[in-house]
Amino acid sequence: MPVALPLTTTLPMARPASLRPLDDAQPLTRPQPVTALWLHVHLPQLPLEVLTRGMAHARACVLVQGEGSRRKVVMVNTRAATLGIRTGMPLGAAHALGEIVELERNERAEQHALENLGLWAMQLTPLVSLVPPDGVLLEVRGSLRLFHGLDGLLARLRQGLKQLGYRGQYAVAPTPLAATLLARGTARSVVQDSHDLGRHLSSLPLEVLRLAPSEQAALDSIGVRTLGECRRLARADLARRLSPALLALFDRLYGQSPDPRVTMVAPSVFEAALELPWEVRDAQALVTAGQRLLLELQAYLRAHVAMTRHLHWRVRHGERYEQRFDIRLTHPARDHEHMLLLLRETLMRMTLRESVTSLELKVDELVHGGPTMGADLFGVRHHAQGEAYGSFVDRLRSRCGSQALRAMDLHSDHRPEVAWRWRENNEPVRRGGIKTLFSDGLNTRPVWLVKEPVTLSTQHGLPQFDGPLRLVPARERIDTGWWDERGLARDYFIAKTTRGSRLWVYKELDGEQRWRLHGVFE
Amino acid sequence: MTLDELLQRACVWRAGVGTPPVGGSLTSGYAALDGILPGGGWPRSGLTEILAATTGIGALRLVLPALARLSREGRWIIWVAPPHVPYSPALHGHGLDLTRVLVVELAEDEASTRMQTLWAYEQALRFADCGAALLWQDSISNPRLRRLQIAAAASSTWGLVFRPASCAAQPSPAPLRLEIEALNEPRSGAVAKASSLRVSVRKARGARAGLHCQLEL
Repeated sequence: MPVALPLTTTLPMARPASLRPLDDAQPLTRPQPVTALWLHVHLPQLPLEVLTRGMAHARACVLVQGEGSRRKVVMVNTRAATLGIRTGMPLGAAHALGEIVELERNERAEQHALENLGLWAMQLTPLVSLVPPDGVLLEVRGSLRLFHGLDGLLARLRQGLKQLGYRGQYAVAPTPLAATLLARGTARSVVQDSHDLGRHLSSLPLEVLRLAPSEQAALDSIGVRTLGECRRLARADLARRLSPALLALFDRLYGQSPDPRVTMVAPSVFEAALELPWEVRDAQALVTAGQRLLLELQAYLRAHVAMTRHLHWRVRHGERYEQRFDIRLTHPARDHEHMLLLLRETLMRMTLRESVTSLELKVDELVHGGPTMGADLFGVRHHAQGEAYGSFVDRLRSRCGSQALRAMDLHSDHRPEVAWRWRENNEPVRRGGIKTLFSDGLNTRPVWLVKEPVTLSTQHGLPQFDGPLRLVPARERIDTGWWDERGLARDYFIAKTTRGSRLWVYKELDGEQRWRLHGVFE
Repeated sequence: MTLDELLQRACVWRAGVGTPPVGGSLTSGYAALDGILPGGGWPRSGLTEILAATTGIGALRLVLPALARLSREGRWIIWVAPPHVPYSPALHGHGLDLTRVLVVELAEDEASTRMQTLWAYEQALRFADCGAALLWQDSISNPRLRRLQIAAAASSTWGLVFRPASCAAQPSPAPLRLEIEALNEPRSGAVAKASSLRVSVRKARGARAGLHCQLEL
């Protein structure tokens, strides 16, 4: 009997992957169930931030509520907190601690700001829903790959919030409600597995649920302080003592019943405004506010896969009056940096007659299509033909005025001053239509035309310029133009000065018969 | 780094061997002029100063053939604050593609026009599709010129600065400086249509200065 050879194939290492026991090869087993993953962004300081984020320099600000002498502080920013001002303090006491700016709550502005933040968030995922008054909820499962995982997406979110001027706290959870509650409670918690949900939620205080005051009081009275304690109550008890709605809420929270959300749709017109709570008289300070608006616009345009070429700006000076200005782009664009540059140049040229109270941006003409990103796959920025041209032209026009940069054209006419003209803005270039009425173009027409012909003094009937002019004998007679108001009759000469310059001069054939300088040869 | 790589660099100057300008050179259209220019033609990037005793003696004619070639390559030719109106029929006659010519004119009443002009010129130099940017300016501070030179070199734009001959004594960071003067013609006889011109190289980076030639324009 032959001795049985040891079967090497029984060694787990050598076994093909498909034959391995399930718990042996981790990466192949348990494909992650494709469930939704929700990210909630909670803005605890939103009522204060909508009023102050347009300002270039931070000041101690407090949000005030109440009437007359009972006015008290309901929210403070970091700078006010370092002065020792706390929420709930009477306003008088807060003033005693340092110089502060009092602000009144503006709920309309908050709502608008939240909508624009939602629009901004559409660059992270198309599934964005608002959780008024202070939250934005995103479904991010489908975007994880684009941002190289959750960490990449969260890094983008943090960076974006900072640029927009918000301090946000966020949480990630498998159900939308859990994400919301976690974000309100313990910031930056990330729960990817629904099995861990109970553990993370149980220690949250009940306040995160934002129950009606009566319900909150009822739970307080039986000594229930956290979500975990509340969930341990018998379901029937809970429904009887409070409301069945609370039960349903817990079911949605733990994913036991569906919780559909309405996703927001980007409006067809972009409108955003920034309040400027204290005096801004300096155009430079407006640039900060403008940048925040342009970042929101850029996100809006991305969500629409569109670009724009026309920005309407409005600078409000209190209720009394406003200044409007438009920024037009030569080429449709989405990039906020280019627009910011143009805004800065335009603001520098503007005189702000009074202090500014708010800055508004409106865009209603969208150009659909175009590149979705400024950079290609390899991160290299490509300038399409004309893109560099557009940005050069826009920059120059916004700083030096729209007439500063012009192109030239020919005009078929024998009269020197009519034979050329400026090409109007956006007038198409007439290719091939250029005709000239003189044959020897090189030497009969000067490179420079003097805009207003200069009358030359004469001595012994000969024109003077830097001493006596010497005329080249050949003369060119240019005559008539009876069909319009610019008729002329002249003899043109090439003349040399004593210093070697060549000029184009003419003698009038009628009237005073003056000698005049009309051009300079080179 | 090998010796060959080192020698390729513009900062290394080898005696007797002219350094070709970065990005190749552009023939001027005048054989005599090409003969004295470093690299055998106009540079395609960096500043070039042309110093002329007076206007109208031919400073612009020296560069028009090269500008015409650049414009037909599709590059923009930008004239910043020219002293008079560039006359389009003549430019067309010299072969410039007028659809590639832009003129920057600033409002006269602007108090800071000079700073605006220099700013606009710098923008033109930085504009990647610009082939040549032309400027007429008497006094430019040296740091400003250096800034312009860096801008022109970075974006491969030929920056042409026309200045009066009195600026020749002022040191300049421009890699190429030419001085031109009109040659007196005999007082007697008929006045010739053409004029003759003497061009001398005041400074040429990586080549010999002091060469000169005579041109009939």
